[in-house]
Amino acid sequence: MREVAIIGVGIHPWGKFPQKTFVDLGVEAIANALVDANIEWNKIETICSGIYIWGGNAGHLSGQYLASVFGETGIPIVNVYNACATGASALRLAYLSIASGQVDTALAVGVDMSPEGFLTAKSDNPRQDRDVLRWKMVGMPNPTYWALECRKRMGKYGTTHEDLAMVKVVLSQYGKENPNARYKKAYTMGEVLNSKMVCDPLRLLEVCATSDGGGALILCTAQKARQYTSKPITVAATTVGSAIYGDPTIRISALSAPAKAEAPLLSESYSSSQQAYRLSGIGPEDIDVLELPDNSSWHYLQYLETCGFGGEGEAERMLRDGETQIGGRIAVCPSGGFSSFGEAIGAQAIWQVAEIAMQLRGQCGARQVEKAKVGMAQTYGLMGNSGTTILKV
Amino acid sequence: MNESESQGKVVQALPDLFTWSKDGVHLMSARCGSCGTFFFPMYHEQHRPGCSRQGIEKVLLNREGMLVSYAIQYYMPPPPFKTDKDITPYIVGLVEFPEGIQIAGIVVSCAFNQLKLGMAMETTTFTLYQNEGGQDIVTWAFQPMKTL
Repeated sequence: MREVAIIGVGIHPWGKFPQKTFVDLGVEAIANALVDANIEWNKIETICSGIYIWGGNAGHLSGQYLASVFGETGIPIVNVYNACATGASALRLAYLSIASGQVDTALAVGVDMSPEGFLTAKSDNPRQDRDVLRWKMVGMPNPTYWALECRKRMGKYGTTHEDLAMVKVVLSQYGKENPNARYKKAYTMGEVLNSKMVCDPLRLLEVCATSDGGGALILCTAQKARQYTSKPITVAATTVGSAIYGDPTIRISALSAPAKAEAPLLSESYSSSQQAYRLSGIGPEDIDVLELPDNSSWHYLQYLETCGFGGEGEAERMLRDGETQIGGRIAVCPSGGFSSFGEAIGAQAIWQVAEIAMQLRGQCGARQVEKAKVGMAQTYGLMGNSGTTILKV
Repeated sequence: MNESESQGKVVQALPDLFTWSKDGVHLMSARCGSCGTFFFPMYHEQHRPGCSRQGIEKVLLNREGMLVSYAIQYYMPPPPFKTDKDITPYIVGLVEFPEGIQIAGIVVSCAFNQLKLGMAMETTTFTLYQNEGGQDIVTWAFQPMKTL
């Protein structure tokens, strides 16, 4: 396998853009990445694109639609979908395309424009799509699942409402400094604790919104990377994980979970992170900056443990002691996280990796993590899929 | 089948998920004779890796279980969730059955301050809405065990 580097990152800021199309967002992200990498379009040798599920035929063939804007060149274009790990899956494919020796450069891109309000079922056949059951029979939006897991954690480890609120207080300070974030207001503990209850125990400011956004990464063999940039970022590992039998998580879209745990909670994310540690030879103790999927305050706490940054039940203490803040042992979500961005299914994993790359380049201004040398982007997706990327300089 | 259902007054919102028997409402599951895993819904198989998947039998779960988690939902979900009226705030509970499976469902007949992890629950039904023919369209639900 050949070493692979990121030479360009491009983002379309997160927000709501009803006047734009997903192609508009993707084109801006790609154009930014091309400029950032100082590479010409016709040097891109493959495109791995996240499927945009709300975009009909165009969304399912997002890579072809985006390529046609810049000019079709006959290269392999593959579109992938893995729920919220879609971008991670596109990135892994781009990485493998280069590492395997088939191509020297690749574009990984993900774009999303979320429909208004709650996401809901996309088919009406309960026999083949469990998603129909959870909506129709129980009325379970995604935050209900997070709330169920959060309540379990509160019962097990004594997590307090103040702990859940503190996640937002910390992340909102970072989001305020990030021009790409959708929410740029810093919140106080009182404001978070007084925000509306959405799904008890989780409040409005403790769950992420759904947003529009786009991200693009340009990868190249490490050998050729310096032709384009003086600061190539090495991809130490980029992996995808799926769930393990016996995972006790009440997984989004499921109506049941095993009573006896035979695998870790969030086993798909345990799987992807363990693969990444093994392949890179880098462990949690080596990582300076981490973007994790803070879909809710519960996720922030749980992912610290799932990915091995703390032992079971330690996350609340790590948060309270400032270990997870910029300047602490490990800077967690200095971008402001999903808390400040909101979910954009196909795009978020790409953006997380772009943020880590910018941190390692030292380009993050007020939210910069000093002397960051190794960073990790962790995402997760519905129905047991996840992605981990470890970058280093 | 209870009296109302036999008279056609009560209709399940979707079939093959729960049923009535003499002692009340039971969730319908299936158990794999090879790996021992219980499925819910029974038609969604989830075997242990390497299982031969032989000898799957339909089973009715115990009516009674234990509340292992709950959430209180303050916003009405979008369709296909359909109810006669706004039912928020409502409780979604996760109930662990003795067979070794936890199942989520709406919790009824329970005050918020009554909710406690570990409390005993029983399976029941909840009427989502009435259709044009005056039939109750129902789903499964849980309620606190009635103490004698």
